[in-house]
Amino acid sequence: MKNALWTNLFEGWQKTESQTVMTLKQVPIFRGLTNKEFREIEKLIHERTYKPQEIIFRYQARGEGMYIILSGEVEIYLEDEKGNKNILAVLRDGEFFGELSLLDAEERSATAAATKNTILLGFFRPDLLSLMERNAELGNKILMNLARVTSTRLRKTNELLTEAQKLQPRP
Amino acid sequence: MLIFAFLFTSVLLPSVDFLERKIKSRGLSVLIITVALCATFVLFLGSFASNFIEQASSFSTRLNEEHTMDNLNVFMEKVMDAMPDFVSEFKPDETALATKLQDVVKGVIQNLLTFAGKVGGFIFTTIMVIIFTIILLHEYHNFKRSLVHFIPNKYFEVGLRLIFNIEHQISSYLRGQLLAASSVGIMSIIGLFILNLMGANLTLIVFIGIIAGLANLIPLVGPFVGMIPAILIAIMNNLGNEAAMNHYLFGVIPSWFYIFDIALMFLIVQQIDNNFVTPILVGESVGLHPIMVIIALLIGGTLLGPLGMLFAVPAAGVLKVIFQEVSFVTKNAHLL
Repeated sequence: MKNALWTNLFEGWQKTESQTVMTLKQVPIFRGLTNKEFREIEKLIHERTYKPQEIIFRYQARGEGMYIILSGEVEIYLEDEKGNKNILAVLRDGEFFGELSLLDAEERSATAAATKNTILLGFFRPDLLSLMERNAELGNKILMNLARVTSTRLRKTNELLTEAQKLQPRP
Repeated sequence: MLIFAFLFTSVLLPSVDFLERKIKSRGLSVLIITVALCATFVLFLGSFASNFIEQASSFSTRLNEEHTMDNLNVFMEKVMDAMPDFVSEFKPDETALATKLQDVVKGVIQNLLTFAGKVGGFIFTTIMVIIFTIILLHEYHNFKRSLVHFIPNKYFEVGLRLIFNIEHQISSYLRGQLLAASSVGIMSIIGLFILNLMGANLTLIVFIGIIAGLANLIPLVGPFVGMIPAILIAIMNNLGNEAAMNHYLFGVIPSWFYIFDIALMFLIVQQIDNNFVTPILVGESVGLHPIMVIIALLIGGTLLGPLGMLFAVPAAGVLKVIFQEVSFVTKNAHLL
């Protein structure tokens, strides 16, 4: 007979949680959401599979939303006129990109491509807009998180700009 | 059938989504909304039919009285007097009239048989539309996700945008039109209530208002269709009424059976709707040029009759969205 005190009674407690939800929980844009809200978000997520070297989106294409890496690897780069790649970042499991497109339909600032077999979770502006109409509270939580992520990036950019200005010789 | 089911789904989807959040069951939400809608529709039709039959029976009773026929003759004479001379001089040949009458009777019998067949077909179609609507409402989000799943990666974001724009186009158009129809309905009820010269009861006034509102869903033609039942009931109610026969609008324009009073009231309602309500509620949701709207209505009307006219504008709007996206993609193919 098993000892009730030492047996893990909570084994499998979280097993109902899908890999998608577990990945979403790592993303700052979904911080502070309840399990029920995560399940609602899961319904809006599109799972996409990409082969190595397959383009996810191109520089200057109109952006529709963000991607979260469920598994695999993605590189973000810019190409010069001769076609040489300038790699800006290499992103792996749990990391995300393209979140600014959740706010507007502006052009993408770089190209994103898979470097190996990759599964991405896409969360798109049309779905966020319809979510905001149906569930304003959840929509607001996501928007606040998005504003936090954007302001962090802005601060970081500002710091880099200040540093670059300091390095430049004064006339 | 599928088009109707899709249309009903577009209209009912927000309410089903809303109810689902409250009661946490999509199946039950779909069931409640569908049953409530069907019950309202049956109640409306039943109540309208009973009121209309009551009105018609009182009309036929009055028609049997001699002075009513005299009144009708006086009315016809007045109408003929008001017509240009060549119309009043036109006298049909009596034998030709008898043959035509026989043809009409034959036609009526044939039409009745066809009508019976059509009623059966209509009931079948209605049931199928209800079933399709229930399935679509229940599976809408899954259906959409499955559809999106099949879009190749290259066209994924463009496809998503296209679906969203089409959905947005249809739902904003329908929502705006339904709100405009409600406002026309309410304004017509208020207008008829103020006139209240037809002697009709309040229930009938409400029904006429609802019909006027629903007819308003068909652009351009609808507003005129809406005033027909009101005028018919005014004639039926006021037969034998001397005051109604000799009524003048503003004391100047002859308005037998208050016909022009009613027409003027509907005209005012239409003007308020066209110039204030619709621009605010519907706005430029479809964004079609008025000439394109007329062309769409003509094509819709020729292909599918009044129902075609009902769908013509949103269908043209959807085609416009598709055309815009396709042209954008063609121009920016290097970005895919």
